[in-house]
Amino acid sequence: MDLLSLLIHDAMYHSIPIILCVIGGAFAYKANVLNIALEGFMLNGAFVSVYLIHTTGSVFLGIAGAIVSCLLLGFVFSYMGVTKKGNVIVIGLAINMFVAAFAGFILKLMGTSNIVLNTYSVADMKIQIPVIDKIPLLGALLSGHPFISYLALFLVALTWFLMYKTKLGVYVRVVGENEDAAKSVGIKTNLYKYIGILIGAVTCALAGVNLSFEEMALFTNNMTAGRGFIAIAAIYCGRGNPFISALYAMIFGLARSLAVNLSIYAGPAAGLFDVIPYVTMVVVLAVVSIFKHKSNKERGFLS
Amino acid sequence: MRKKTLSMDIANSIIPVLLAFIIGGVIIVAIGNNPLTTYWVLIKKSLLTTKGFANTLHYAAPMVFTGLAIAVTFKANIFNMGVEGSFVLGGFCAGLFASAVTGLDPVSTKLVSFLVGMIFGMLFALIPALLKAYFKVDEMVVTLMLNYALAKVLEFLATGPFREQGAGYVCTPTISGNAMFGRFGNTRLTFFFVITVVVFIIMYIVMKKSRLGYEINAIGNNPCFAEACGMRVRKVVIVLMLLSGALAGLGGAGYMMSEKYKYTLAFSGNPGIGWDGMLISLLGNHSPIGIFIASIFYSVLKTGSDNINLYTTVPKEIVTVIQSLIILLLSIKIINDKTHVISGRLYKKQNKAVK
Repeated sequence: MDLLSLLIHDAMYHSIPIILCVIGGAFAYKANVLNIALEGFMLNGAFVSVYLIHTTGSVFLGIAGAIVSCLLLGFVFSYMGVTKKGNVIVIGLAINMFVAAFAGFILKLMGTSNIVLNTYSVADMKIQIPVIDKIPLLGALLSGHPFISYLALFLVALTWFLMYKTKLGVYVRVVGENEDAAKSVGIKTNLYKYIGILIGAVTCALAGVNLSFEEMALFTNNMTAGRGFIAIAAIYCGRGNPFISALYAMIFGLARSLAVNLSIYAGPAAGLFDVIPYVTMVVVLAVVSIFKHKSNKERGFLS
Repeated sequence: MRKKTLSMDIANSIIPVLLAFIIGGVIIVAIGNNPLTTYWVLIKKSLLTTKGFANTLHYAAPMVFTGLAIAVTFKANIFNMGVEGSFVLGGFCAGLFASAVTGLDPVSTKLVSFLVGMIFGMLFALIPALLKAYFKVDEMVVTLMLNYALAKVLEFLATGPFREQGAGYVCTPTISGNAMFGRFGNTRLTFFFVITVVVFIIMYIVMKKSRLGYEINAIGNNPCFAEACGMRVRKVVIVLMLLSGALAGLGGAGYMMSEKYKYTLAFSGNPGIGWDGMLISLLGNHSPIGIFIASIFYSVLKTGSDNINLYTTVPKEIVTVIQSLIILLLSIKIINDKTHVISGRLYKKQNKAVK
């Protein structure tokens, strides 16, 4: 592949896990729950899937286990954050820390620093779309990704449909916009917050599976490297709209792809290229906020 | 009433810790070890011998700084996750300065190194502070992103331009002897701990007795009210972020001069001391005295975890697992006097205003 195709292909590959996180986080965002635990859910999805496939050899069991364990974490998060009204930021960070610590603990018990799946071939999982993969740039963008990547793109549309065209979506948004009003008309606000968080848990599990299987089929600790938080930044920028937020996720994917692919030519300064994605996200977030508040004429800090 | 809330606060800090240790114990049993012996190893050396306790105090010192740095912002409901970054950057810059400087006497070398650490810690906090104050950019996401970016930049600087040639691993040059704190006796304790106590007392006065401390509380409880009362919330937010960065930077500089002496890629450990500060601040309920006690407790865990590695077959990561469980359980009030909450938010708001 030439450089441009490679860039586009990698941009897609780096975007998909974040897009999946964005889908999950968007519901929680609309329900007015700041779900910091996306990062931890994703790491958990990656860890459990790789661990189960490593020990049992079954891909299905791996993915199912990842989803179930993430749902469990989602329940812990919702119980403490919604039912018990704890500080969701603190709970989220605690879950992130717990998953990393627990994975590290198991890795130490196994006596390795990463789990590599030798029996599993990454190339087999990739789907080449017959006609499109011959078209120069479009082929790089759309063809040669694993199943979950295509699922992710479908899920973006599905999420949009759920959020804006169904009763569920309307209720979730009402709960987020005005909880007291929602309560007064008899909507079970906690239920919709739970739903928002649990949808996030499932998609983050898929994001984790995707992250560990797309290129290498391995797990190392802290391999998520802040992607969950980037997803949160993307959700903020897109204000919870699945399509717009997914676009912001792709900006990050592109920045990361540029960083990875250009660092080959950079010599000793290659390490500095890793900064690009994070700085990009800060700049994007700042610019979006500046524009959002530019038209604001009210006085004071809180307006 | 006051007595009741105090005892409730204490119970709410202790019960989660006990619960976390019980869950940790279950995990230890599950891998076929005895939790009691493991926990005994954890506290024996770091708490029950004079030397061990002195070392525990020594390691608690930087965490007092990061804990206070977290508390001043969290208490005002500003989530500055950049404490870790300020800490590391402060340590890095102070270390570089202290290794390059010549011709200063020991006292002024240390003072200027502290100043360097403090300034860079503040600089790191300045960007999110300005973005938050003027454009309402979410400070949490920004500081988290900048932490990752800073880690990459420092990795580049430490492996590239500032690498100590001839060392077998990646590190910056060792700081000059003038900048090193001497140890007390055969312990690791240094004069840095005394400085820590002084800073702690100053921060106690600032948070409990000063106008700024009152403003922190007011903004944390109800920013609209604070603004309506004429507080310049925007200015206070910037001041708090800078104060937080300064404390973290000082902590980093002190940690460099009293313990590490050079910057390595594992300078702050994993999870870093800035993150430890967050747990400590939560554990201490964001109050200075609570933070001081929590730092010592936390330091016991941290130094004890190395002993677990030495004397048992349990991986020392178990301590991090327990730590995360503590944070998780601390996030909710297990015991409260509002069990008869009528309709959630409204009632709570009134309650807060009364407080």
